[in-house]
Amino acid sequence: MRNSSGNDLVYLPATRSERTRLPRFYSRILTAAEVEGFARFVGSGLPFDHYVWLCWSVKESVYKYQKRLFPELVFAPLRIEVQQIDPPCGDLDFYAGIVVAQRLVGPTGVASQTLFSRTWVRDGVIVTIVSEDQQFTDTHWGFSAIDSATYADQSAAVRKLALGELSSVLSRDDLRLEKDAAGCPIVLAGDQPLAIPISLAHHEGFIAYSFCSKTV
Amino acid sequence: MDRREILEELKRVLEPYTENKELLRNINEQTDLVKDLKINSSNLVDVIIDAEAKYNIEIDFDSSEKMISVGSCIDVISDKINK
Repeated sequence: MRNSSGNDLVYLPATRSERTRLPRFYSRILTAAEVEGFARFVGSGLPFDHYVWLCWSVKESVYKYQKRLFPELVFAPLRIEVQQIDPPCGDLDFYAGIVVAQRLVGPTGVASQTLFSRTWVRDGVIVTIVSEDQQFTDTHWGFSAIDSATYADQSAAVRKLALGELSSVLSRDDLRLEKDAAGCPIVLAGDQPLAIPISLAHHEGFIAYSFCSKTV
Repeated sequence: MDRREILEELKRVLEPYTENKELLRNINEQTDLVKDLKINSSNLVDVIIDAEAKYNIEIDFDSSEKMISVGSCIDVISDKINK
């Protein structure tokens, strides 16, 4: 299978914590097993509404990862299950997750894919990356705050941030980003698309990217 | 409610979640909520919950997956209203 990349960013102050805690809201995001999974975090300092958005961020990242591979895919949070999520521990400063995503194949078939996630929760910002590689060996990522929360400024800023890192990793200064027909960002050198899967995210005054430098 | 009336109400549901008010005034059934209106994906559940309250309906999970464009939203809402 081709390689891909997926990321997401949630700025928690822009979410509605009271609404997020309502079953009619979170039940559209979390499976029953994921709701039960919050028991591990009771007393950890992670509020339930932050847990909901953490899981959302993982699921959105998985969706972006898969959308590149299966362009017809529609985001369905309940078809993506966070099977395990471990809080930061020891030298690891991120939540490490194992996620199983199911997608419909034909009229009755279902295909599953297991991916791994890493999520950082800091100062009200949730940033997630996902990969097939549990070690994230070839995954590059970053995030930043910006001064504007308009869509146009977010979009321009995240492209600039990602291109800076891409240029550094690939040692090229002729790179640019566009979107393919499915809406996934693609990296081009001149007019030539490169096999570098990239994912972009922005929410309010924050932007994030991830890409995989291993071309498969 | 006919499709035109649902569309007018839907504009009010979507209004808090898009910064492009000019485009919102001129949406049609092909308008995509994320690609065109630039609604942040984290607000998609809000749109469904607000639509349920606005039209006094319940939107099941399978139906909510279809709510990608204005036209598909109207399809789902119309179906639920007329049940």
